[in-house]
Amino acid sequence: MNWEALVFTLFSPVIGGFIYGLERVVRARMQGRVGPPVLQPFYDFLKLMDKRSIVIHSFHAFMGIMYLVGTWFSLYVLLSGGDLLIAIFFHVLSLAFLVVGGFSVRSPYSILGAMRELLHMVAYEPLYVLTAAGLYLVTGTFQISEILNSNEVPLFVLPLVFVSILLSLPTLLKKSPFDIAEAHQEIIGGPEIEYSGKFYEAVYTAKWIEYVYVFFLIFLFGGGNHLLGAFLVLFAFFFFNLLDNVTARVNFRQMVAFHWYVLIPLVVINLMLLALWRG
Amino acid sequence: MELKKFRKKSPWILHYNTGSCNGCDIEILACLAPKYDLERFGILNRGNPKQSDILLVTGPVTKRAKERLLRLYFEMPEPKVVVAVGACACTGGVFRHMYNVENGVDSIIPVDVYVPGCAARPESIIDGVVKALEILEKKKKEIELPPYCKVPEGEKLNRRKLLERCLEVINAGRRS
Repeated sequence: MNWEALVFTLFSPVIGGFIYGLERVVRARMQGRVGPPVLQPFYDFLKLMDKRSIVIHSFHAFMGIMYLVGTWFSLYVLLSGGDLLIAIFFHVLSLAFLVVGGFSVRSPYSILGAMRELLHMVAYEPLYVLTAAGLYLVTGTFQISEILNSNEVPLFVLPLVFVSILLSLPTLLKKSPFDIAEAHQEIIGGPEIEYSGKFYEAVYTAKWIEYVYVFFLIFLFGGGNHLLGAFLVLFAFFFFNLLDNVTARVNFRQMVAFHWYVLIPLVVINLMLLALWRG
Repeated sequence: MELKKFRKKSPWILHYNTGSCNGCDIEILACLAPKYDLERFGILNRGNPKQSDILLVTGPVTKRAKERLLRLYFEMPEPKVVVAVGACACTGGVFRHMYNVENGVDSIIPVDVYVPGCAARPESIIDGVVKALEILEKKKKEIELPPYCKVPEGEKLNRRKLLERCLEVINAGRRS
């Protein structure tokens, strides 16, 4: 049992909430607005606790909570230095809970959002598995604790993989230009539309945890050089906020095509060159 | 910890147009844009009744819109407040007593704050919303019913039954 990791995982919603609050401020400043206070996500959290919750049916509410639990567990696997592939697959599983919950209600927006969520998974999951393979090629292990203590710096060997992960960040976090699953103007949040009160709170918190999860994946590209990793995280944060502000939503064909015809070939080229060079 | 005081720190808005001329709607959107920036109070335009606290209604409530308005009102979880924005939403405005309108929002759902003006200025909308936040803090969590919809004493009805009861009344015809 890794107690340090457990404590970190338990406090990860707080860290994720701060990241989200900071993101809202940064986004507002980029648009020339003042923006909400940094603690705003926590105010939202406490307000949602006070609201009455309308439950559609118990299975739907349960799936919302399982989304939170699944994401939280995948983050624990990451933070405790476990297997990278297991963390990625648990994250897929948690999204599957959200999708099943989205399909289980009769709201057309919810069903449409769940379908689009599946398209998101089709788009970015191969990329993340290939990234794990790339990290394995560089450091010789899938164990995160060993990746973080290795002498290699994956960023210098896998620059194209890092670029593709950076460009697919909006897909995982559902930000513009790839926010088709929770397009707030057309399908009003997608699979999360029917959650209210405490159950929406679970979905909301799961999204904060996803921030920590994603930025930890970025952090891995620093390898043994933790300062470089921290810098990469900071860079990725500002980069995807900028991308979120300056781009409009693309349609799902363009999103999947961009991932399968541009990003995945980039990663494969990088891995093949690496294998040739090493061999 | 008292959770009530966080209600006014993160109110989420649902905006519904019941047949307005879009004048007031443009002004509401102007409130959320950089110049007035309502997000600095934590206000977000969610567009989702299940996660909203404030219902901003514009327009004189046409016959077609009244059922949707009532449904949206019942889909919002308590505590919630209703703000009627613009002259039409308050009284029916220039459309009052016409054959196709219901003379204002308060003939369908209970209204907490009236914001006058044709169109209501962004400053007065912000003023109305801030006033609504004070009311929101004092609200109870029971389901609030429109005045024309009476439920006999001792009868326990859920949200869907209450909505059906109210829809029966507004679809029955002329109300006093």
